[in-house]
Amino acid sequence: MSLWIERWRRLIWGAEALWGAGVAHTTVSLGEGGRSVACIGPAGERKVLLAAIMNDGTRALARGGVGAAMGAKRLKAIVVSEEGKSSIAEPERFDFYRYESEKLLKASPLTAHGLPEFGTAALVNVLNAAGALPTRNYQQCSFEGAEAISGEALKERFVIGKRGCWGCPIACTRRTEVDGVRGEGPEYETIWALGADCGIDDLKAIVHANYLCNELGIDTISMGATIACAMELTERGLLPQGPRFGDAGMLLPLVEATALRRGLGDELAEGSARLSKRYGAPECSMQVKGLEMPAYDPRAMQAQGLAYATSNRGACHLRANMMGSTLLGLPKLVDRLNGSGQAGLLIELQNLNAALDSLVLCKFGHWALAEEHYSRLVSAVTGRRYEEAELLQIGERIWTLERLINLGRGFSKKDDTLPDRMLHDAAPCGPAEGKVVELEPMLAEYYRFRGWSKDGIPTERKLSELGLREYGRQLLPC
Amino acid sequence: MITRRGSMLAHLEEHDLIETGVGENDSGVMLASSELVVHRAIYQNSWALAVCHCHPPYAVALSLVQDEIIPVDSEGSYMLHRVPVLGAEHTIGSTEVAEILSEALKEYKIVMLRGHGCFAIGHMLEEAYQWCSTLEAAATIICHLRALGGDVKDYRKGADRFTNW
Repeated sequence: MSLWIERWRRLIWGAEALWGAGVAHTTVSLGEGGRSVACIGPAGERKVLLAAIMNDGTRALARGGVGAAMGAKRLKAIVVSEEGKSSIAEPERFDFYRYESEKLLKASPLTAHGLPEFGTAALVNVLNAAGALPTRNYQQCSFEGAEAISGEALKERFVIGKRGCWGCPIACTRRTEVDGVRGEGPEYETIWALGADCGIDDLKAIVHANYLCNELGIDTISMGATIACAMELTERGLLPQGPRFGDAGMLLPLVEATALRRGLGDELAEGSARLSKRYGAPECSMQVKGLEMPAYDPRAMQAQGLAYATSNRGACHLRANMMGSTLLGLPKLVDRLNGSGQAGLLIELQNLNAALDSLVLCKFGHWALAEEHYSRLVSAVTGRRYEEAELLQIGERIWTLERLINLGRGFSKKDDTLPDRMLHDAAPCGPAEGKVVELEPMLAEYYRFRGWSKDGIPTERKLSELGLREYGRQLLPC
Repeated sequence: MITRRGSMLAHLEEHDLIETGVGENDSGVMLASSELVVHRAIYQNSWALAVCHCHPPYAVALSLVQDEIIPVDSEGSYMLHRVPVLGAEHTIGSTEVAEILSEALKEYKIVMLRGHGCFAIGHMLEEAYQWCSTLEAAATIICHLRALGGDVKDYRKGADRFTNW
């Protein structure tokens, strides 16, 4: 079935004819007349735990298996059809704030040059030079083939143009073409997951695999990380005839097999945590709370480890990415090899990102804009005055509510952790050589600054401050 | 963390940094800056992770004749837009100042206390200090412009809107 939203009325519409169809066909069929479509592909229909929801063809709501959730409800797509423009309460004031925000976006080399010219793939060389590019299932911290899969290489070989989301002045999306096939991407995370993490430096193969993930509706990060896990299991002799690091030729077959749950793909479809446990080596899964870690080695960015460990949906760079302060110097550079004292920075970023997600605002803007821009823009649009502190408190409320839900479902401090490899196996090379993630002291600092107990439970005082006491009573286990 | 009362700010040493409670008193208050109550209120009521307070002379001078400081230089315009000037009867370490400043810093990253100095907030001390530095540079330029006299050739589109920031 599909869910249609037109003029704010919801209609359930049969979509049996589209069940089994790929993302492109589904989007074109349902998106006629300028409608917006969020759909699942064959992966979501088969409840693959790595399945994504694809919005308008190539924009992925990827992490956490949300596509599988839709597939479990046999919901193929959500279609929205609306006419007219949104209203803005104070258009002149909004225009002023928008103009001032655009000035900053144009002034920042990241948002004015780096992202527009290379897309997110520009980060490959940056992270590699920092010794923070996880390689071969996080066994190494830098990749000898990084140049071949860098943003520069992508631009030289496959980029035919760029695209931005509606109204965006950055336009970070790469339009690419390979072997006569056109598509979008790959992004940095995809290049890393299907490239360095698998020991693969074949950029053409990575581009093709990215297209296939989009068409089948799969999270590229979890896909690549799960393949990398399988590769390590093979290397250890635990997975007979499994894929090997560096074998680019098996990327497409494995992605397809995963989406369709065939052969080894049926095992990969369950994610790296279940895969590695099945073969008796759970330490081979680089995941937190079941979600595979993305493209930043926390041994070289200590506070990023804290971000992964405390993210409510598992290891996620979108909930908070400490790359800003630890590598890019935004707002100022902090010591990335010593996470002490950075819990406050992380918490503020988590709260802000929760608010930005709620506003459906791109996080790349924050690489040039400050909280004051967001609060003023929202105030002008809504006609209600939002202060910066209030916006952040809204984000904190969202974050804390998510935490309460997790606690109510059995998550606890023991889940705010990292894979053993990050805690016990030192980085073998690069600027972070010899480092493991010193998580315990950072976590203690984090709980204290959050106003939570030593066990990571929001206190009565904090819940009262946020107006969440009633939720605490309902959701926290007795 | 706050500076020791009476410390020489341009020559701070380790013993000039005092650790005390952000919400509760402890023995550290015996040594802390006289602005302790103001800093605490700012931490408790805004998003600040760092607070920088100083007495920039040009900005202080402007605060005595204006209710807001609107930079005309490039960096000041981009970064600050508008800096409110607030007045109080007791301008050092008073609860009155703590209340009005912490309220204003919910919406601005730097404000002036008339005749006294600026208070800036940031994610880290270096950032908060940058706002103070940018403000003083902007104030210096404004004062020099007034000394030069003549009409300002404003290069900014919609410069009259900055008072709405």
